[in-house]
Amino acid sequence: MRFNRGVAIGATVLSLALVAGACGSSGDGDKTSSGTSSTSSGPKPSIKVGAFNFSESAILANMYAKALAAKGYKTSVRANLGNREVVAPALEKGEIDLYAGYAATDLEFFNKAAGQATGDAASNATKLNAILRPKGLEALEPSPAADQNSFAVTKATADKYKLKTLSDVAPVAGQLVLGGPPECPTRPFCQPGLEKTYGLKFKSFRPLDPGGPLTKAALEKGDIDIGLVFSSDGAIVAKNWVVLDDNKHLQNADNVIPLIRTKVATTEVKSILNDVDSKLTTDDLTKLNKRADVDKEDPDALAQEWLKDHGFI
Amino acid sequence: MRGFAVVAAADPWVRWDWVHRHSDVILADLREHAELTGIAVVLGLLISFPLALAARRWRRTEAPILFVGGVLYTIPSLALFAFLVPWTGLSRTTAEIGLVSYTILILVRNIVTGLDGVPEDTLDAARGMGYTGWRQLVGVELPLAAPAIIAGLRIATVTTIGLVTVTVVMGQGGLAKLMLEGFTRDFRTPLTVGLTLTVALAVAADLFLQLVERLVTPWARAGRA
Amino acid sequence: MGFLTDVFHWFTASAHWHGTNGIPHRLYEHTAMSLGATAAAIAIALPLGVLLGHGGRHGVGGRIGVNISNLGRAVPSLGILYFLAVAIGLRGYPGFGARPALVAMVALAIPPIVTNTYIGVGDVDPEAREAAVGMGMTGWQVLRRVELPLALPLVMAGIRTSAVQVVATATLAALTAWGGLGRYIVDGFSQFDNVQLFSGALLVALLAIVTEVVLGVVQRGLTPGGLEPRGQSGKPEAGEPAAQPAVLAPPT
Repeated sequence: MRFNRGVAIGATVLSLALVAGACGSSGDGDKTSSGTSSTSSGPKPSIKVGAFNFSESAILANMYAKALAAKGYKTSVRANLGNREVVAPALEKGEIDLYAGYAATDLEFFNKAAGQATGDAASNATKLNAILRPKGLEALEPSPAADQNSFAVTKATADKYKLKTLSDVAPVAGQLVLGGPPECPTRPFCQPGLEKTYGLKFKSFRPLDPGGPLTKAALEKGDIDIGLVFSSDGAIVAKNWVVLDDNKHLQNADNVIPLIRTKVATTEVKSILNDVDSKLTTDDLTKLNKRADVDKEDPDALAQEWLKDHGFI
Repeated sequence: MRGFAVVAAADPWVRWDWVHRHSDVILADLREHAELTGIAVVLGLLISFPLALAARRWRRTEAPILFVGGVLYTIPSLALFAFLVPWTGLSRTTAEIGLVSYTILILVRNIVTGLDGVPEDTLDAARGMGYTGWRQLVGVELPLAAPAIIAGLRIATVTTIGLVTVTVVMGQGGLAKLMLEGFTRDFRTPLTVGLTLTVALAVAADLFLQLVERLVTPWARAGRA
Repeated sequence: MGFLTDVFHWFTASAHWHGTNGIPHRLYEHTAMSLGATAAAIAIALPLGVLLGHGGRHGVGGRIGVNISNLGRAVPSLGILYFLAVAIGLRGYPGFGARPALVAMVALAIPPIVTNTYIGVGDVDPEAREAAVGMGMTGWQVLRRVELPLALPLVMAGIRTSAVQVVATATLAALTAWGGLGRYIVDGFSQFDNVQLFSGALLVALLAIVTEVVLGVVQRGLTPGGLEPRGQSGKPEAGEPAAQPAVLAPPT
């Protein structure tokens, strides 16, 4: 008797799950509304916004999407796609139409690490466009808000080895473990850059995540000695970490900049996105990141709130 | 410890408001998980049957087939998917090839065992009654082998539901996407939801197949209860 | 064939044989943890399986035993790893990510050993048991002199299944910041380095196959002539999955 009921319940649950799944959203989890997309004047293009695998990117993607949606565009957000090795090809292939990039890093990525990036965001953007246009892509206006790679140590480590700048690390690098995203050993602004510009050869590298909870936990608990964190991360101040000064300017102007497919970049779209970016500040990013990472607030809710506060919706 | 840690410690295992707001994503992930599993098991069954029949028909192939199967079986799933990626990319195809391979390994063995388990006297009696060839297979052997075959289906389905999780490294993963989000953001709710639903799906599928077995083998009912 | 040449070069590159990310160190990490986890799993699962199976397979012990193995199969390894990483943190000995990895490896290795031990001990011919009791043996002696020796081949089969499962879980643990051979696969994915990815997969597959083969030889060595682990020629028992060894699932 008991067994029969158990079987019946199980069958019901499974059927309900399948029915619910079938009646649920269509496709692969995109929040898309149906509709046609068009490239010329007429119906507004539908725009797929992608994001990297950290919260700031999800927040920015949602900001772009909602600002556009407020003006009648059909948008969808695909967050957590991965690192640039995933997101950039997705843009080139048209799987997404737009993402919030970072001027210097994207320039180096598309330019195959040629070393052309500088501390001037506008010039980075120009050089980036020169490479993107033949691919049917373009970069819009860089925002005043920037998020650089930073390398931080705990106060204890800084005091022990008397570290203030990255140059100070050179004599003791061989005793330190570096932690960062798995792609760090192949990125010019990460491990190879530290070696080339500062002569830093670390004891070992631990692959963790892009400035996320793993890296921060490892730094806090001493499993790594120096970690890559993002300059807009609120944890730096909260935990009293020491960000080592980039005295030889390895990092360049990583201002937020939209990368978009020319096909959907109408005048109105461009002006909306540039408008959003122009009002964004690094301080905004820091505050929003903290709320997403520590308080676990939803990136889309945070984006909505910021847009409302700044008069976009 | 700073305030940072105090706030982090307050993350409950399930925040129901988050679940309500993300119910469409949760259902989409559940659907993807069920689809990946369903395709793998159905395809696996379709391929396993001829393979099992061939192994029995040409007994000398049985040992090599089971041997190769045994070796492939031992390979951890992450490695198997990694072998395929350089050729089939980070795609659903790669995921399905890997998943189907594992179901074949389970099903072929169980189908062969099930068919082998049909008593010789029963087959003699059937032949005496005129059941030969395909009629014998479909009318006598398969129904009697059904418990073993369905047992294999149960293992294959539950195992596949677990293996689908691993495909998250290739951008698939179904409910594992929620678990991954929980891990990367140090956020308990999606993790709990993803893990619980995966186990629930496996248990439900298993119970469902047990129900199917009871329906398909009415003669065994007398021995139960 | 260019790709496979690249893979060959990956293996011959001297840089890949030194340091914490070198093949010897990763192999050592993987093997050492796997051995430790399997030993721990045996220490926990063997007594449990004996307890459930001693005196026969049916009744409460029987049902618990079946349910342990079914539940073990339903829980995804990667899910357990993520869960433990968030629940108990990543700090651990001997390295970052080791704690959830070890706990997950042990936990997932327990069901196959429990099930096979309980079936092995429980399936001992009741006549053999009665004869032993008739000869005046105590329960403890029956266990030691009759049930365990007869159950040994099946127990060994369970240990073999668990060992391979442990190697697989250890591979996945690279996704929760641990090391081991899985590191090459996971980093290969994030760095879009198919050569590293494939080479890592080769190393992992090799280790798993070697584990399976070596323990298979041990198992055959422990099997008295003429005795097969139950299930190989037997019919599937009603209500239980037909499989040999008793718990059959690919290492996740």
